[in-house]
Amino acid sequence: MGPRDLPDEIDYHFAVLKDERIAMGDTPEQADAFARRRLGSRTAIGEAVYETRPLHVLDAGVRDARLAIRTLRRNKAAYVAAAVILALGIGMSVAMFSLVEAVLLRPLPFPRQQSIQVIWKVDPLAGSHVEELAYPELRDIEEGIPDFEYVAVMPTSLYGYARVLQTGKAELVQIESAPVSHDFFRVLGVKPALGRDFTSDDERVGAPPVVVISDAVWHDRLGADPNIVGRVIRLKGQGYTVIGVMAAGAEFPRGAGLWIPLGVERAIVDRRGATFLQAIARAKPGVSRDRIAVQVNALFARLAADHPEAYTRSQRGVVTPLVEYWTGSARLHLWIMLGASLLLLIASIISAGNLLLSRTLSRRVEIATRMALGARRRQVLSQLGVEGILVAIMAATAGLCVAQLAIRFLVRWAPGDIPRLPQAALDAGSFCFAAGAAALAAVACTVISGWAATRVNLESALREGGVRLSWSQRAGRTKNIFMLAQAAVTVMLLALAALLVLSYRAMMSSDIGFTNRDALTMNLQLRGPGLFGAQAFDPKFRRSFYTQLLDRLRASPRVTSAAAVLLRPLEGTIGWDVSYEFEFEAGGKDHRVLPKTNYEVVTPDYLKTVGTPLLEGRDFDAHDSESGEPVAIISESLAQRIRAAGHAPLGSRLRLGLGGPRWSKVIGICADARYRSITQKGADIFVPYLQASQPTNYVVIRGTQSAGELAALVRRTLAAIDSNQSVGGVATIGELIDANSARHRFNMLLLLWFGACAALLAVSGVYSVITETMAARDHEIAIKIALGAQRFRLVREMVSRTLVFVLAGESIGALMLCAFGKLGADLLYGISPRDPLVLGSVAAFLFMVSLGAAFWPAWSAAGYDPKHSLRVS
Amino acid sequence: MARQAKPVDILQGTLNMMILRVLQQGPANGYEIAKYIEQRSDDLLQVEHGSLYPALRRLEAKALIKAEWRVSQTNRRARYYALTAAGKKQVVVERSHWKTLVQAIARVMRPI
Repeated sequence: MGPRDLPDEIDYHFAVLKDERIAMGDTPEQADAFARRRLGSRTAIGEAVYETRPLHVLDAGVRDARLAIRTLRRNKAAYVAAAVILALGIGMSVAMFSLVEAVLLRPLPFPRQQSIQVIWKVDPLAGSHVEELAYPELRDIEEGIPDFEYVAVMPTSLYGYARVLQTGKAELVQIESAPVSHDFFRVLGVKPALGRDFTSDDERVGAPPVVVISDAVWHDRLGADPNIVGRVIRLKGQGYTVIGVMAAGAEFPRGAGLWIPLGVERAIVDRRGATFLQAIARAKPGVSRDRIAVQVNALFARLAADHPEAYTRSQRGVVTPLVEYWTGSARLHLWIMLGASLLLLIASIISAGNLLLSRTLSRRVEIATRMALGARRRQVLSQLGVEGILVAIMAATAGLCVAQLAIRFLVRWAPGDIPRLPQAALDAGSFCFAAGAAALAAVACTVISGWAATRVNLESALREGGVRLSWSQRAGRTKNIFMLAQAAVTVMLLALAALLVLSYRAMMSSDIGFTNRDALTMNLQLRGPGLFGAQAFDPKFRRSFYTQLLDRLRASPRVTSAAAVLLRPLEGTIGWDVSYEFEFEAGGKDHRVLPKTNYEVVTPDYLKTVGTPLLEGRDFDAHDSESGEPVAIISESLAQRIRAAGHAPLGSRLRLGLGGPRWSKVIGICADARYRSITQKGADIFVPYLQASQPTNYVVIRGTQSAGELAALVRRTLAAIDSNQSVGGVATIGELIDANSARHRFNMLLLLWFGACAALLAVSGVYSVITETMAARDHEIAIKIALGAQRFRLVREMVSRTLVFVLAGESIGALMLCAFGKLGADLLYGISPRDPLVLGSVAAFLFMVSLGAAFWPAWSAAGYDPKHSLRVS
Repeated sequence: MARQAKPVDILQGTLNMMILRVLQQGPANGYEIAKYIEQRSDDLLQVEHGSLYPALRRLEAKALIKAEWRVSQTNRRARYYALTAAGKKQVVVERSHWKTLVQAIARVMRPI
């Protein structure tokens, strides 16, 4: 019953009609003509019948596809070029999307993750970024906020809690560990894969030591022993019973391999002054974050009133969803980079659309002919659509390959501090994204241009003939809009890239206070048993240990200087802050808010070793000991505060903490150094190690040897003193600076690449538009030349018509950047996103390049011999 | 495509109904159906013969009619259409619809 029967059926009908007329006396010719008229066109009947079939749309698709492949073959170069351009745009944006998905969108392994909140405090008055909590506040929160299902506390940073695992093999392994209160895993909503969770019994003063180990540690260090639960492992020389193995993927805080109960030391369970914690809480279902924030702040205000000796009234609670805490500032950075890659995608779609529009326009004779022969507009459009889809499929396939390469490259190249980035890979989401981008590209590339192309005056198109057709008012307008949009996108990308380059330069050239990039630093924390391993030793012992170690190191002829410090530069965003007051401002109210600043315990020679210039006074020396007068060195901005108050900094006295026990005399002023991050200014207070109760945990050493040899020297010297200690985290100051600026460098290089691609696309767009204008109007130009028009004036006329659109696009791009630039301010350092100089020079650059791209073809076209081009037509 | 104006003499949508009505009398081929409609309307209705075929295919797709190749009276092979059971029911339905419609229109159109 299909259409195959139709011709026979029509034949029959035709024959009978003809017979009827012949019988009525017509000649066969007359009868033929009558039958034809009566029946109508066979093709039309065929098509009408064809369209009654439910699947005819698909069939037409196949037909159009065949035609499309044929035209594709004929116009290979243009389509391949379009596909390559699109593949670049799709590839880069898919790669960025995969990173965003892996880092930000994929849910964490914790059920109902949005209910988990991390809580700490800030004190705007003291200028501190993070005020940590103390253990007693755990109970305050548990009792004060009934909307929480579970609450736990954990340290704000992993720093200082690493434990040496002694497996009995020769090599000691240092494993990051997190002391947590017993509800920690219930807050996260994870259960051990083996064994049991902590209970409140594990967390009381004097409880037998127990540990939960991570899946990774269990596999890598303990041979995935199925009977591990109940076994005792040795950490820092102390036996811990393994009570559980945590499920894989639940390593929180990031990098933790061991969890041990926190509240087992009397020193912390009752002391409100021992602040080193943050809370993590799981809200009951349906409780909003705002409501929690209100409750948390009310609680902290109440606590400040109840315990004026411990808290200041200006402290505010900070409630951060775990999801945001987990990714930190990487969140914003990744979204911005995804946005930039989408701009590149748009630029590539515009470019490809432009290219295919030219192709379509040059095929206008073909299209006009088909339409004259009875093809309907819809059919022409669908044929163009199929061509576009074919290009888009090629582009999407190639784009996925590009994305695969880009992801690998980005993962290897990206800074290591973005969690879950290495898990980025192409998956269903990326495929959907690529398909969406490709579909958008297909529509933009063909349907828009096809629409322009099919709205032609058939007669004039056929009559004019030849290349001159390729230009029409409408198509010209479309191309100009393409060019405008592209200029806008390109200006935005280039300006972002320029801003990042400038801020990177500012970052690298700013005086961060450490001039000796070659100074080698390493963690050497004396480890003993107990929660705070270093405190297991008495301060006297630690000091003498360090004195002995440094003396031996300094004795080596290859060592220029060696020193030790509490916390090395750029170790993390959370360091050791201390509140302080100068003698001249002391007194007054009992519970004033004291400013806080970075606190370092150092040995003599420390400043010299890291290269922080001593501006006035002297460095510490061996006389600044327990029995000597308490002394301190302050950094320049603190000294300025003293000077501003009309006092001489040198010789003035300060004390640490409100009503601190003793006054220290300022004996030196050094330059400000940036200990937290290279973009964060700050002031520092240094005290000599012999006068501080806090330990020095990092060795800093400079010498005439390579970093590797210096590290080996330290290890050898250390082994000779105490074979139970080990060093970790070996890095030069230069490496620390590089690691700290790695994310910025990554962002900058990525945007430079995006910007360069976009600029190239924009310039080639301008070139092609001008070339086509000239080709389309060569007749007109030839006549003008023949009539004596000046070459330069002609060129100026052609070029300026096009460049107006580039300029307009640039202005739109600049405006967009001004409007949305604030979003990216976090990426920048020392420069405003609206910096007029940057916007101006980027716009000027793009304009000059476009001018070049436009001028060249225009100039050569205007130089043709008019006779030649007039004769041709 | 040179599209000629369609003859307005067949009311949109009535062709299907008339085809079904014709087939109620027994199987017929395309030519016969066209002729029959023209004759029964005393040649008042001019069927564009070509337009029969899409209509026939549509009815066939709805399983209201079925087709088979047979030899015609003039000894040629022709495709004959016949009502299916569903088609027979449909004619009754369409006829009553049509009656109602015609009466309604007649009332509207009667002289005031």
